[in-house]
Amino acid sequence: MKIMIDNTPIECEEDELLIDVMLDNNIHIPHFCYHQDLGADGNCRMCMVEIKGQKRPQIACDTLVKENLEVSTKSENITEIKRSILELELLNHPVDCPICDQAGECKLQDYYMDYGLYESHLSTPKTKKGKHIDLGSNVILDQERCVLCTRCTRFTSDITKTGELGIIGRGDSARVAVAPGRELNNPYAMNVVELCPVGALTSKDFRFKQRVWFLDSTESICHGCSRGCNIHIDYNETKYTNEKIHRFRARRNTQINQSFLCDYGRLSYKVLNESFSGTVSEIKELKALLIMENKLALVSPSMSLQQLQSVKEFSQTYDIDLFSLAYMDESFGDDWLKTNDLSANFRGVKELNINSSKEAFDTSLENAELVINFDHDLLKHQELHNKRVVQFTTSNCDTHYELIFAIANFAHDSGTIINCDGIRQDFYATKYKSETPTLVELLGALV
Amino acid sequence: MSFSFNQDNTMKIDLIKDRYPEKKALILPLLWLAQKQESYIREDAMQYISEFTQMPYMHVYSVATFYTMFRLQKPEKRVIEVCRTLSCELNGSEEIKKHLESQYSDAFEIIEVECMGACSGAPMCTLDGKYLENLTPGKIDEVLDAN
Amino acid sequence: MQTKIVSKNFDIPLSHTMDVALKNGRYTSLDRLFTYKPQQVIDTIKASGLRGKGGSGAYAGNKWQLASDHHGIKYVVVNADESEPGTFKDRQIISHDPHLLIEGIIAACYAIGSNTAYIYVRGEYEAFSDILQSAIEEAYEKKILGSETKYLVDITIHRGAGAYICGEKSALLESLEGNRGHPRLKPHSLQPEFYFGQPTLVTNVETIASVPFIIENGADAYRAYGTDASPGTLLFSISGNITNPGVYEAEFGVNMLEYIETMGGGVKNGKKLKAVIPGGASTPVLPASMLKDATLDYESLKSLGSALGTGGMIILDEDVSMVKALKNLLRFYHHESCGQCTPCREGTSWVDKTLDKFITKTATQEDLNILRSVSQSMNGKTICVFAPAVSAVIDGFLKHFESEFLECMV
Repeated sequence: MKIMIDNTPIECEEDELLIDVMLDNNIHIPHFCYHQDLGADGNCRMCMVEIKGQKRPQIACDTLVKENLEVSTKSENITEIKRSILELELLNHPVDCPICDQAGECKLQDYYMDYGLYESHLSTPKTKKGKHIDLGSNVILDQERCVLCTRCTRFTSDITKTGELGIIGRGDSARVAVAPGRELNNPYAMNVVELCPVGALTSKDFRFKQRVWFLDSTESICHGCSRGCNIHIDYNETKYTNEKIHRFRARRNTQINQSFLCDYGRLSYKVLNESFSGTVSEIKELKALLIMENKLALVSPSMSLQQLQSVKEFSQTYDIDLFSLAYMDESFGDDWLKTNDLSANFRGVKELNINSSKEAFDTSLENAELVINFDHDLLKHQELHNKRVVQFTTSNCDTHYELIFAIANFAHDSGTIINCDGIRQDFYATKYKSETPTLVELLGALV
Repeated sequence: MSFSFNQDNTMKIDLIKDRYPEKKALILPLLWLAQKQESYIREDAMQYISEFTQMPYMHVYSVATFYTMFRLQKPEKRVIEVCRTLSCELNGSEEIKKHLESQYSDAFEIIEVECMGACSGAPMCTLDGKYLENLTPGKIDEVLDAN
Repeated sequence: MQTKIVSKNFDIPLSHTMDVALKNGRYTSLDRLFTYKPQQVIDTIKASGLRGKGGSGAYAGNKWQLASDHHGIKYVVVNADESEPGTFKDRQIISHDPHLLIEGIIAACYAIGSNTAYIYVRGEYEAFSDILQSAIEEAYEKKILGSETKYLVDITIHRGAGAYICGEKSALLESLEGNRGHPRLKPHSLQPEFYFGQPTLVTNVETIASVPFIIENGADAYRAYGTDASPGTLLFSISGNITNPGVYEAEFGVNMLEYIETMGGGVKNGKKLKAVIPGGASTPVLPASMLKDATLDYESLKSLGSALGTGGMIILDEDVSMVKALKNLLRFYHHESCGQCTPCREGTSWVDKTLDKFITKTATQEDLNILRSVSQSMNGKTICVFAPAVSAVIDGFLKHFESEFLECMV
């Protein structure tokens, strides 16, 4: 059916939420407390719109669309209402922008630029509350910056069901807190930092490290486990350092992770900043070793389909026994995003029919003379005696090796992986050309 | 020592616990019983209530901080609450408050509260929750000295 | 001028005890009640024109019908959270005639098909709540309540703990569910209230206490009192600068100034009347000059730009500073805002702090503008009617007494 929003016809289904219709159609509607994956609370009052036939303005997050609905978001009345609600939100807000990590991605800043730009009328003291409170799990709370949208409290009560966060007090002394002596402690805690529309909840890990307007972003997939949560990799390259990855942010995917990431996955960006720092071997040295009998290759199950295919062809060309072993941890998985399989693409290993039997691998390893490890954790940290070892690695390797080749990690090498439910997803490299070659490039010189 | 309800209160809880459709509704009555028993609401009392009603601790704590009458700190002295809302102010509550603060603040904790529904007995205050109405400085002295 | 329907037994010694109550007519309406079908009871209440006495003035019969029409286990919740400044009438019913309340609750439960009632009493009323509890226990003993009766009704007292906002019916239900007292978003279609998802009738103490008379004597007998649009009586409260503050029941439609003289004994100490806040603090103040023809009913006060509310009159004499009076009320609202939605949480705090500048006589024109503009931001843009009430209060004071505020400006 059709409804009219600012004199433009918009298609939608009966009984959808008006705010969802607007967000899905990229119609700008300011809001704090509504979140597409948390639902509505109706407390911020920013999403007010005028509806023809209704005396008072209505909040879009509590309005269901009906046939012939006529909505206005730009009338003088609504513009004034937005300005006045924004003024009230900003009234007791501290002047923290210069040191607040949220600057550049802060809803208060954004809406002020759109609807504010007014003279301050404040001539009475601001309300004081707690600042830089360490809640645990890398989350820092600033109660003065908080607009009490309750996204964070609803997250811990309705989504993780761990109930650490709540509102204490009443009226203008109401503030978000954890109970005294307790802390924020669940595997998804850091999502509240992203959920928070202002700088009230910030990441201790990211604190004071980077202004967000210097960051570039690429669409990628977390490689922490087989769920394949969608992420943005935020990175930049500054003048005297190499490109640095500063954080992962969730990318919304209604089929897989909605707007959330687990903390383990979120912090797994750190490994992407590591790279092999020693001297690399030359590919002709490897070629010399390939004439040996009894060759074994182990490939990481987190590699992309393209990398796995390349390794498979290489192994076939040089008659190498190829295996890939899953990273299993029965204690890691839960009933939400985390899976027991910590590899990013084990489904891809299966699809390419790469042998994943541990017994067969152990047998082959016994007889092997040459072992080539394609970035698999097992052989990066386990010493192999009496064997000639070649490492293809994305980071530093602390076992002995004869030859070593550095390869680009998934931040610098686009590809495709298949998640635990069989969903095929592409991820893209950052825009800066890495000095480290990709695995496909390296092996390309050999086949 | 970890909190538990005394025998009297346990009996009271038994009488009311099946009167609500969900255990959650018992939070307010249990907070009251806990406060009456210990003169304030202890942390371990809230922990007990959290387990009893199967709600997160933070929820119980958050509810306790919403209501003015719940005390989360042990009171040092007996409490006098003076009403400060309009009808009482029109009848001299300011004078009563000043008298109390100047003469009795050593022995009692003097708190200001909002309308207590005793406007025909203005100005008024409570002592240990008991209403004292139609106050004059003289009447206050009489009552407090006797108590 | 005093009419005694609900307050008939108040002055009888030990009227709260079962023996005295039974001797003085309590529970006699139950015989007639059970000869009606439940829908007939609802029709009788509708016909009587009984209006809610907790401040809304909504027709009780319609609310009963809504709850009755919805399917499921039903609840009756009696709102005894009386916290509106200047209002202290429900306290009288609870402490002097609790059996009248119980009688009314039985009727309401029977009419809508509920077997469970809760009485949410404000926490400060502990002493009166104890009297009510004794009366309920007596009723169980006498097999008027409980399972061995003609119609099962269980009543449980649930004490509040000091939050004015819990008098708002949806906040009350939140509190009764074991949550913070945050009012709920209002539905877009006509619906009853819900307690744990079940249809619920939320009703004021005095409204329910008026029901036995209507059942016993019929709808017309109730309509014989009051006016056409506001039938019956109300327990009006009167306090402030008045000689005989108290609760005096009267028919709707009596002249306000006459009531103040006759029942209240006139302004205290022979002072002149300056203004009246007619229906509890949340109704706009009216200067004495406007009150000549004002009558105590919903329509008359609405036409004067105010409201009857709870009928709790606060009398202000010639010596009262309206600036101080407004400060007193805004301080109250600042303290009692639940804090859930932005305009109310920030607005009530801002206007309270701004009033301080008027008190210290350091206010500017800007401050006066703030009072007006914040009042507008709080009106019609919030989850519940708390903020619009604050807005109406501010507007009332500024409309009629602006000169006193101007005097406080530099």
